[in-house]
Amino acid sequence: MSGEVLVEARGVVKSFPGVWEHLILDHINFDVRAGEVHALLGENGAGKTVLANILSGFYTLTSGQIYVRGKPVHFKSPFDAIKNGIGMVHQEFTLVPSLTVVENIALMLRKHNPLSYPLKEVRERTLELSERYGLKIEPDRLVEHLSLGEKQRVEILKVLYWEPDVLILDEPTSVLTIDEARELFKILRRMAEEGKGVVFITHRIEEIMAVADRVTVLRLGRKMGTFKVSEVGKDELLRLMIGEMEPVRYERGRSVEWGRVVLEVRDLHVLSDDGREAVKGVSFEIHEGEILGIAGVSGNGQRELAEAITGLRKASRGRIRLMGLDITNKPAGEIAKLGVRHIPEERRRMGVVEPMCLAENMIIREYKEKTFSTAGVIKSKVITEHSKRLVERFKILTPDIWDTEVRILSGGNIQRLILARELWKGPKLLVAFHPTYGLDLKAVTHTHQHFMELRQKGAAILLISEDLEEIFLLSDRIAVMLDGRIVGTLGAREATPEKIGHMMAGVGAS
Amino acid sequence: MRVWKRLLWALLGIAALAMVSYELSQAGVRPVKLVETGLLAMTPLALAAVGECINEKAGVINIGIEGIFLITAVVGVYWAEVFNSGLIGILMGGVFGGLIGAVLGVLSTYGKADQIIAGMGLNVMSLGLVQYLLMAIWAFPGIHIFPRELVVPRLSLPFTELRISPFTLIAVAAAVLATLMLGRTLLGLRIRAAGDKPEAVDVAGINVNHVRILASALGGFLAGVGGAFMPLGWFGGLVKEISAGRGFIALAAVVFAGLNPLLALIASFIFGYAEGVAFTIVVTPGVKEVIPFHFIQMIPYLLTIIILAIFVTFRRFPNALGKPYIRE
Ligand SMILES: Nc1ncnc2c1ncn2[C@@H]1O[C@H](COP(=O)(O)OP(=O)(O)OP(=O)(O)O)[C@@H](O)[C@H]1O
Ligand SMILES: [Mg+2]
Repeated sequence: MSGEVLVEARGVVKSFPGVWEHLILDHINFDVRAGEVHALLGENGAGKTVLANILSGFYTLTSGQIYVRGKPVHFKSPFDAIKNGIGMVHQEFTLVPSLTVVENIALMLRKHNPLSYPLKEVRERTLELSERYGLKIEPDRLVEHLSLGEKQRVEILKVLYWEPDVLILDEPTSVLTIDEARELFKILRRMAEEGKGVVFITHRIEEIMAVADRVTVLRLGRKMGTFKVSEVGKDELLRLMIGEMEPVRYERGRSVEWGRVVLEVRDLHVLSDDGREAVKGVSFEIHEGEILGIAGVSGNGQRELAEAITGLRKASRGRIRLMGLDITNKPAGEIAKLGVRHIPEERRRMGVVEPMCLAENMIIREYKEKTFSTAGVIKSKVITEHSKRLVERFKILTPDIWDTEVRILSGGNIQRLILARELWKGPKLLVAFHPTYGLDLKAVTHTHQHFMELRQKGAAILLISEDLEEIFLLSDRIAVMLDGRIVGTLGAREATPEKIGHMMAGVGAS
Repeated sequence: MRVWKRLLWALLGIAALAMVSYELSQAGVRPVKLVETGLLAMTPLALAAVGECINEKAGVINIGIEGIFLITAVVGVYWAEVFNSGLIGILMGGVFGGLIGAVLGVLSTYGKADQIIAGMGLNVMSLGLVQYLLMAIWAFPGIHIFPRELVVPRLSLPFTELRISPFTLIAVAAAVLATLMLGRTLLGLRIRAAGDKPEAVDVAGINVNHVRILASALGGFLAGVGGAFMPLGWFGGLVKEISAGRGFIALAAVVFAGLNPLLALIASFIFGYAEGVAFTIVVTPGVKEVIPFHFIQMIPYLLTIIILAIFVTFRRFPNALGKPYIRE
């Protein structure tokens, strides 16, 4: 692994004056060599994305210097990075919702005549790549109709399409299934063998152990060190990332007596945005104190199911009852008032209002209630207190609560904001889609503890995730969704990853 | 809302106009005359509307069409007289419109200006500018009559009695070409992406601002051709309020069309035809005595407001429409 240094950052500083007092990146040295996978590890808000964005020309640096193959470079835009063979899979997707998958990929054709339209060619090559890399996509669907996992696959293919020398991937595995992640690792290893360099950002230490050669740990903008993966232990990495070790075990707690049925879904049919039947006759119920996990590859109707329950989407047939009350096709606001909370699939698009500040986002559900407003006038003192409490409790890294748009928060911190808002009141029913998407290890543990507490208190939780580990860890029962149907439900005790895996793949073993 | 639904609405509008036309023909108006006026009135609307579809797709709103119309009408006549050719005049109108569009593009990208304010500014400024130019160039307030030969002659359409302006055909061609450009070229892809998700264009190594400025210049060019067409292809004269709000009517056509150039063409025809009908009614004996003249003249504008009210809410506009692209 003594390959040539492809890209190197020396003494890179990034600050956002007027927003943050501290340096977001504090004199960081970082390099990627030919033939290696270099992982970046760090808590939410540590500066991983900012560093990656600087290397790919998306952000400009405040001071310091970037070198490509030893030559100093000044990236003013992503174009400059592309010219130097650097490609990046962004954490916040850069896909055009109103274009199809192929059109999005064709957008990357920079050198073609702008009046040509080689879509057929792009389509063929995309399909070929998708086949070769095991990233399943439907080339002609509009991106806005895709699930998060599908979008992730497209985002990865889009960059692979033009074969960069240095590939930077910002949390590409958060919404992939284990199989897809494994395929991705093969691609990364193969690229490394071909003499390319890979930067890989993840919160999962096992993934680093499995695929990376070296790892750099960041903590709040400071570099804690770069290590050979073969020479560093998992605990050591944890300690460097978090500071002092704290037990990262969570307590499953006593098993809870199930109470009354909270949510009852009967023969539910729901259409997707492009008018296909996405949910094709689903029935289940969840009791007080129960967590029902829904496993399945994304794009099998999970999003439509969640949105129908929370009132964001019309059901075309079937019934949904909450505590015996028919809530089918009731407005979302009304359903929320009954104590239903929703952690949506796409945090930036559905979970927050990006151009609004944190305090406003915090009360977006309850601003009309007496606690937070009188006669339509917001009680800013109460809201300040409320937001401060939640920022503290959920450890949200934010410069302030009224003055900055939440747009600038890191991915994991946006997720924390949503969790805080949806969980603080103790919902009756929680519909949680990828609840720990993009959270760092510590926050994941906290969230799991929180879920357990809610369960203890008698809440019903519908947990939808592609992360089988999470599903197994939390669920009392596990249902598998495939092609709009629930193909089987197992109790936590009888379920094994193999059984569920088979069901997810549709190899019928129920 | 889907294209076919908009088309249905458009057919409804056409049916209503057909009924009115029938009534008028009973009163002795020749239908051919109605269609001819309608097509003439459609032309500037369609040119500007098709252009606006392009720049709005790219994320730039230009509500200054009215201003471009006014300015390029004067500029067009000036150059027509210089070169003694209406055709060159209209072309120069296009060039000036393109320049204005490019400036607006630069302001709303690199300048990070509020596009609504910039467009409004253009409209207000043009009101004064036109009066000033009329005085400065021809030393006569508010009106200028130029030689008849400068008006671009109309062609007779084979197999019909219709005589139409070549620029009507150009407007139709522009709508078709714009549709092809937006839907069937990489450039169109970039334009659509720049309006919906500029980050996607940026990470592809393509300059978002350049795409937007280009689209804005194209939009301005087409509006400029439309503006110069009014005196040089239609009225045969120049008055200071020559466009009479047509710039806003073109905007309404764009909203109705949901940024689809072909629908914008159809909408422009409906508006133009309605204007032609209104024209005709006020001069037709037997009808003009029954319906008050001011009421009739109000119709195209009323239609504009109604259409805007209905269709603005139905439309999913590009996500980044009107917002400058800032990377960090
Ligand atoms: N455009 C911006 N303006 C101001 N602050 C920013 C901006 N972009 C990022 N930041 C801040 O920089 C810090 C580091 O953010 P970054 O996105 O790099 O975190 P991260 O390590 O990727 O975290 P996560 O795991 O949550 O994705 C955060 O506190 C974030 O709020
Ligand atoms: Mg990040």
